[in-house]
Amino acid sequence: MTPFLHDLLAYAPQMLTGLKNTVLLMAVISVTGFIGGIAVFYLTLGSGKACRKWTERYISFFIGTPLLVHLFLMYYGLPELGLRVSPFWVSVVGFTLNVSAYNARYLMTAYNGLDPMELEAAGAQGFTAPEVFRFVILPQALRLSVPALTNQVIQNLKDTSVAFLIQYGDFFSQIQEIASTNFEFFKAYLTAGLVYLALVSVIVAAARVLERRIALPGFSAT
Amino acid sequence: MKMALIEVKNLVKRFDDKTVLKGVNVELDQGQVKVIMGASGCGKSTLLRCLNLLVQPTSGQVIFKGEDVTRPGVDVRRLRQQIGFVFQHFALYRHLTVQDNVTLGLTKLRKMTARQAEEKAFHELERVGMFEHRHKYPAQLSGGQKQRAAIVRALAMDPAVLFLDEPTSSLDPEMSREVVTVINRLYLDNVTMFCVTHDAFLAKYISDSVVFMDEGRVLEEDIAERLFYDHPNPRIREFFLGVIDLK
Amino acid sequence: MTFWHILRVLAAGAGYTVLVTLVCIGTGLVVGLAVALLSRLRWRPLRIALFLFTYVFRGVPVLVLLFMVFFGLPGLGIRVPPLMSMVLSLGLICGAYLAEVFRGAMNAVSREEVLAAEAMGMGRVQSFRYVVLPQMLRFSAPGMINEFTSVLKYSPFAYTVGIPEIMKEAMSLTPVILRGLEVYLAVGIIYFGIYRAFLFLFKALEKRFRVPGLAAD
Repeated sequence: MTPFLHDLLAYAPQMLTGLKNTVLLMAVISVTGFIGGIAVFYLTLGSGKACRKWTERYISFFIGTPLLVHLFLMYYGLPELGLRVSPFWVSVVGFTLNVSAYNARYLMTAYNGLDPMELEAAGAQGFTAPEVFRFVILPQALRLSVPALTNQVIQNLKDTSVAFLIQYGDFFSQIQEIASTNFEFFKAYLTAGLVYLALVSVIVAAARVLERRIALPGFSAT
Repeated sequence: MKMALIEVKNLVKRFDDKTVLKGVNVELDQGQVKVIMGASGCGKSTLLRCLNLLVQPTSGQVIFKGEDVTRPGVDVRRLRQQIGFVFQHFALYRHLTVQDNVTLGLTKLRKMTARQAEEKAFHELERVGMFEHRHKYPAQLSGGQKQRAAIVRALAMDPAVLFLDEPTSSLDPEMSREVVTVINRLYLDNVTMFCVTHDAFLAKYISDSVVFMDEGRVLEEDIAERLFYDHPNPRIREFFLGVIDLK
Repeated sequence: MTFWHILRVLAAGAGYTVLVTLVCIGTGLVVGLAVALLSRLRWRPLRIALFLFTYVFRGVPVLVLLFMVFFGLPGLGIRVPPLMSMVLSLGLICGAYLAEVFRGAMNAVSREEVLAAEAMGMGRVQSFRYVVLPQMLRFSAPGMINEFTSVLKYSPFAYTVGIPEIMKEAMSLTPVILRGLEVYLAVGIIYFGIYRAFLFLFKALEKRFRVPGLAAD
């Protein structure tokens, strides 16, 4: 048994814990970011001018600043608001704010591609604004945005590694620990790279299947 | 014996398992205009593209100005610069104005100076009535204007012959008239042309003879009147059934 | 220490942020164009290699790649300086994404226009230079702008390899004045400012070269 394989088995439990944390974070923020994105998107269509303005500013700010800044903001900001939370929750809040902004933007782009006549027709038929959103706008916007939204999930997976910088015990942080004990930095990072590639490949495959099933042709907000 | 400008001898073109041209023989003399007609898929567009080697023939010969251009080692670029090509869908360079579309070939291929190219472009554009549109981009032009610009682009290079591949097939009747007017003027100016078309008017009034192709072969070559009305060959009679007598 | 004062301290690192961003963008452009152009050659092994390159560099997280270059390579005897580490990680990743953008843009150029150029007598290089390239660059504009701003947003990782940009200044400042929230709000504002400046510049450039009606088929 080669020393590398031997190391691999020795560190397996640690790496698996890390993997679990990575996948967990990715899954959670993908869901919260998805729901958050829909919510923020709804706010951009709202009737209140102030509401729309501030929502656009929120989206603008979070798309225009680095993810790392968002995480650090939550890391330092939440305690000052009186919330002493674990790195996991700091990450969840930070990522959600970030991902929601991007998803909202993708949905907005898709919305601009919709036929305004359809919305007028729905209103004329007697649907209220929330109903038009629920039955006409959202389903189409979602289907048009599938490529962008699935790309975001892939990005989420890769970005979970950033949580390592705010002390979250994800896969990358475990790799760091392993590397700093046995000093096999290159091998450790190579392993990390391959593992992330494998995970990304799985999601990409799943995403393509999903796209083929439900995406409406004509859009790709890359 | 007068040498033909273009001689095509037993031209064969095979794409994988499909033989599109099965031995085509045709000639074009200087100053002649011949129209090629036939059903979709009979090989007429392929024939045209074989003559300037956009498509490489499988076998047979194409003799241009006495030179066999199907032999290996031929200077393809020099050949093509002597043949003007007009496409069905215009194929104007959409990132360039009409004027720049015309001068691109003049400056980069004919190596003219910018000033010389501009003068030539202006002259040619004026001839077809496109001078006032010279600063427009293709997207801003109508179909008829685009095709006229495309014809100028080809003519400005002073080619020995002009090939037109279904020049009016993408145009509505009104725009089609615009373009046919230009082609007529070229016909009267003795420009040598090979024109692939569905347009019976073009065939009848702006050509010296019509080459009828069917399934990769030249079935008959004759003047339009004799082909269009009550031809002895059933296939030809069937194809031109309903060609209205045009004035 | 006022908020304004905090901003000024942090802004000292802005120069390095812009430097890192521009260097990585530059690398990305060169690599992306090279990959896109090379992928047009008909040689199978090359195309497979290029595909692997874009697949790997779009699938690995930036941080992992950066650490591999800066902390991992020394183990193999290769010491890579900080800025170079950023180039070899963020820069190459940018290149992989841009390669995809350029490839898509090249495919969007009308094949008939290229045919017209060849029918006129232009060679492959000429038709590429005068017909394909000008259109391809214009089609790539949105994708490029997107990717360039993305590079800016991943540039903070530079602090992990010691480059004294904004983030590093922030991390030195915070333990001293113990007002983390304000510090990172200031950080956000500065990055946002740089982001808007970049956007303005790119959009102005795009407008300058815009052609009416130029759209992919």
